[in-house]
Amino acid sequence: MVKIVVVVEVKAGEVRKPTLELLSHIRKSGFEADAVIAGENVKGLADRLAGHGAGTVYVADDSSLSLFSVPAYLGAIAEAVEKSQANQVWFSGSESSKVLAPALAARMDGAYCGDAIGVEMEGETLTVDHPAMATKVIQKVRFRNEGLKVLVIRSGTFDVEPAEPKPAHVVELAAPALDDRVVTKEVIQESAGEIDLGDASTIVSVGRGVKGPEGIEFVRPLVDALGAAYGATRAVVDSGWMPHNTQVGQTGRVVAPDVYFAIGVSGAIQHMAGMSGSKLIIAVNKDPDAPIFSIADYGIVGDLFKVVPLLIDEVKKVKS
Amino acid sequence: MRHRADFSGGELNVIVLIKHVIDVELNVRVRDGSVVQDGMTYVLSKWDENAIEAALVLKDAHDGEVTAVTIGPERSGESLRKALAMGVDKGVHINDPATEGSDSMGYARILAKTVTRQPYDLILAGRQSQDTDQGGTGPMLAELLNIPLVGNVVEIAAVDGTKLTAHRNGDAGKEVVEVTLPALLTANDSLNEPRLASLRGIMAAKNKPMEILTLADLEIDPATVGAAGAGTEVVEMQPPRARAAGQKFEGAPEEITKEVMGLLVNEAKIFG
Ligand SMILES: Cc1cc2nc3c(=O)[nH]c(=O)nc-3n(C[C@H](O)[C@H](O)[C@H](O)COP(=O)(O)OP(=O)(O)OC[C@H]3O[C@@H](n4cnc5c(N)ncnc54)[C@H](O)[C@@H]3O)c2cc1C
Ligand SMILES: Nc1ncnc2c1ncn2[C@@H]1O[C@H](COP(=O)(O)O)[C@@H](O)[C@H]1O
Repeated sequence: MVKIVVVVEVKAGEVRKPTLELLSHIRKSGFEADAVIAGENVKGLADRLAGHGAGTVYVADDSSLSLFSVPAYLGAIAEAVEKSQANQVWFSGSESSKVLAPALAARMDGAYCGDAIGVEMEGETLTVDHPAMATKVIQKVRFRNEGLKVLVIRSGTFDVEPAEPKPAHVVELAAPALDDRVVTKEVIQESAGEIDLGDASTIVSVGRGVKGPEGIEFVRPLVDALGAAYGATRAVVDSGWMPHNTQVGQTGRVVAPDVYFAIGVSGAIQHMAGMSGSKLIIAVNKDPDAPIFSIADYGIVGDLFKVVPLLIDEVKKVKS
Repeated sequence: MRHRADFSGGELNVIVLIKHVIDVELNVRVRDGSVVQDGMTYVLSKWDENAIEAALVLKDAHDGEVTAVTIGPERSGESLRKALAMGVDKGVHINDPATEGSDSMGYARILAKTVTRQPYDLILAGRQSQDTDQGGTGPMLAELLNIPLVGNVVEIAAVDGTKLTAHRNGDAGKEVVEVTLPALLTANDSLNEPRLASLRGIMAAKNKPMEILTLADLEIDPATVGAAGAGTEVVEMQPPRARAAGQKFEGAPEEITKEVMGLLVNEAKIFG
């Protein structure tokens, strides 16, 4: 029997969309799911998780969990997995998952895959599609049947099914064991916009073609008009024009929105590895040979400083 | 067991984990479920170069010794030699056919046995390796060794006698994390700009110590690593799903932008 613990991600007091994607898919597939949620003031979210199919919701609600901490979060998740007697743990793709999931696998002597874009169950056998080598190949990774299976699933892999909240079966976890060998002192909050890249159905990303901070602001009305999340290439982030957590690509966020606009982005393999799963890609670049055009559904060859204002006008027209 | 070298503002001993990987910048082709090896070359994984650079910067500031460790076949020695040429002091090469087919956990198990043979203050790994794109080995090793872990480090801000402060890219922003040494960090590529090996470095590397070990030397049961001990197996490789050929529009900006918007509205229907 397949039993899965879903590790819940929260942002601004809400369950993030990628978590609901996982729960929706598990319910649709007929598997059993529990959920574990760790943070401060998160208990109230249990009913929402139950509505999406979580049988038991394990809650670690403590002020010490307000900032991300590997030992505290890992402790809570491991305890929930033990209590639930699950044989799989699903994380959604995020920077915290990237460290917690492999550490959990090591702690519980399980097996691990760090980035899946498709999941297949045949009896007890779990096989996932894993993009490797900068997404130049898709590996079929098969888990051995024994032991705990830990996987991180890319956001956007599954759809969210609508569901009403319902009263949850909550199990509260003990206060996290503190480990003073590793302490998060502060989080330097950075944000380019209201919408998180992992939650957005439309993303506008900019590259070095925007030339500087003024270029970032020049494109922003397009982001707003589209109701999009605002992303960037590493070149832009390293130049300090956009915050670090807006970076899309292999070492930034890996995203797969419905619509992805790449503005002044050349299309380096490390960038494309982070967005080539987008359903529709629109590129604006003045170089007709830019690699980004090889994956763009619609490629506009032109100067972004001319094209973007035109796009803004058109989008506004359509939206009104 | 204590695996902390005697670092109290004095020497800082660093171990860097490096992997020799297929060069993914090249045109990777897939045939019959596997990657065509013909004409492929191997390189030091990019994020491991960042880890080496970070180790060398720390060495310059604090003295101490930097050791690079790799697990892999004969050819992996090339990446170790590159590390030595960049300025690493010592190489350790675990070269044993039984390690083949290891997943991240298998490598982490071997590394756990390897690094505890000598005292260390800090272990640096890449955020992920370029061939697997898994990002498992570093966090797993930290867990096996029960030492603090900071993943995805973009800045090493300060090191004093017993502590280190690192900035990592987290989900909500930049997290400032203080760890007590010994600890393990994984390097993001924004951490630094790796140096090139100088000619002098390349010459000097020839005389630096390089230790070659087998699983037997490390007293590791081959059944726990390699394909035999792996919890996951790559059963097949496929090329990524090809995207349908797109359309490219060139001409007067006003016209092509209007044309594309028309298609977005009527053909792609992105506005509902
Ligand atoms: C290990 C490693 C990991 C990496 N990870 C990432 C990652 O996660 N994400 C990432 O993005 N990169 C990553 N990179 C960096 C990557 O290789 C590229 O350097 C980077 O993506 C380039 O960013 P860019 O497209 O903004 O800049 P450039 O490559 O400089 O491209 C700028 C583009 O703008 C166009 N342009 C210029 N002016 C205009 C104009 N007026 N109008 C229209 N177009 C214009 C140019 O034609 C050009 O194509 C990584 C690199 C390494 C080695
Ligand atoms: N065979 C290996 N030998 C030495 N270090 C490795 C090996 N495999 C992985 N690592 C380290 O672990 C990191 C992440 O690897 P991976 O889990 O494959 O993504 C790499 O960047 C290296 O620092």
